[in-house]
Amino acid sequence: MGTSILKQRDYLIATVQSDLSDEEWQQFQDDLVRRIGLTRARAVVIDVTEIDVLDSYAARILGTTVEMVRLRGAEAIIVGIQPDVAFAMVQLGLTLDRVTMALDLEDGLEYLDSIGPRRRHSIHAD
Amino acid sequence: MLDFWTVYEDHYEELQRELEKAASTDPVLQSVIHQVPQHVRDEQNRLSFELTRKALVDSEWEPWLENLQEQGGAYAAMGVSIPSWFRIVSDFRRLLRPSLRQVYANDRDRLAAAIEAMENFTDLALSEIATAYLHSREELIIQQQEAIRDLSTPVLQLRQGLLLLPIVGMMDSHRARQLTTQLLHSIRAQRAKIVVLDLTGVPTVDSAVANHLMQTVQAARLLGAKGIVTGLSAENAQTLVRLGASLSGLNTLGDLQDGIEEADRLLGYHLIRETGWVPPSNGTAGD
Repeated sequence: MGTSILKQRDYLIATVQSDLSDEEWQQFQDDLVRRIGLTRARAVVIDVTEIDVLDSYAARILGTTVEMVRLRGAEAIIVGIQPDVAFAMVQLGLTLDRVTMALDLEDGLEYLDSIGPRRRHSIHAD
Repeated sequence: MLDFWTVYEDHYEELQRELEKAASTDPVLQSVIHQVPQHVRDEQNRLSFELTRKALVDSEWEPWLENLQEQGGAYAAMGVSIPSWFRIVSDFRRLLRPSLRQVYANDRDRLAAAIEAMENFTDLALSEIATAYLHSREELIIQQQEAIRDLSTPVLQLRQGLLLLPIVGMMDSHRARQLTTQLLHSIRAQRAKIVVLDLTGVPTVDSAVANHLMQTVQAARLLGAKGIVTGLSAENAQTLVRLGASLSGLNTLGDLQDGIEEADRLLGYHLIRETGWVPPSNGTAGD
C-alpha cells in the first residue's frame, strides 16, 4: 500500500506515497487514528507531496482524519500539497478550512515545534 | 459545375497570366508575389489546380478547402488584405465570364448554369479565405492578450517568506487562474509564509473578482501561506457590501503599508530606525 506512518520524536509522520483508492484512503485513516493512541504521539504530520490528484473523497478523508486526531488529543497538520493540486481543490470548493496546512515536512515540523509541548489537561475540579 | 470547369481548364494558363498581370498593379500583392520564389508559386498553382479539378470534377471538396484555408492564413500573415482578395476574385470572374459566354453562346440554360457555378465556386473560395483570415487574426489577438497578461502579474519577494502580488488592471477569470497558478508556484519555490495581494491598481471589484480572490487566498492557504488583501478602495468596498459578496474569510487591510507591517509582525520581523540617523541630503550644502 502507498502509505507509511513513522514515529519521529513525539510526532507521527504519515506519508502518502502514491494516489490511493477510496478503500486505501479509508485504511489510511483507520491506521493513523489507531496509531495515535499506541504511540502517544503529540502531533501528526500528513505528507501528501506525492499526490497528483486529490478528489472530494480524499479531501474529506483528510479533513475528518484531522478532526479525529484532534479528538484523540493530538495536533495535526497537512503538508506538501502541490500548486496544481491546490488550484484544482479550490475550484472544486475543497478548501479544508479547519485544517492547518504547511508547505512541506520541514515547515510542518517547524510549526509543531513552535506551538510547544502537549496541551496540559487540567485534573483539578473547577 | 462541369461546364464551368471545362471552360476554366481550357483558359487556365491564359487566366493565370491575366491575374498575375492584374495583381502586379496592386502594390501589396506585388511585394507579396516577389516574396515567394517563382518555383514555389508554380508548385502552389499546380497543387491548387489539381485540387480544384478534384473538387469540381470528383466532388472532393475537403482537400481544396483545407488548401485554401492554409493559403489564406499564409497570405494573411504576409499582410495581404481581404479587399485584395476581393479584387482578385472579381478579376477572375470578369476574365472568365466572356469565355463562358462564348462557349455556351447557343445554350442559354447551360450558360446560366455555368455562370452560377462559377459564382458559387468563387463565393465559396472567398468565404474560406476570409475565415482563414479571421482565424489568423484571432490567434494574433489571443497571443497578444497572453503576452499582456504575462507581463502584468509579477510575484515579488519582499523579504524571506513574504511575497507581494500587485494586481493591476481588470481581473477576469482567465487572469485570475493564471495569477493564482503563478502565485502558487512562487510560494513553493520561495517558501513563502505570507502573501500580500494589493488591489490598489484594480479599477472595479465585483462579486466575480471577490470570488477569484477568495479562491486565490484559499489555494495559497493549502500551501501553508497566509493571504492578506490590501488596497480595496472605498467605492469597491461599498460595491462589495451592496452586492452582498462576502470576503469574510479574507484578511483585508487598508493599504499596502498596513499589509506589509502586518506581514512583518506575523513573520517576526521588527523594523528599527537607527537613533540620530539623518537621511542623506541631495548634496546641496546647508539644505
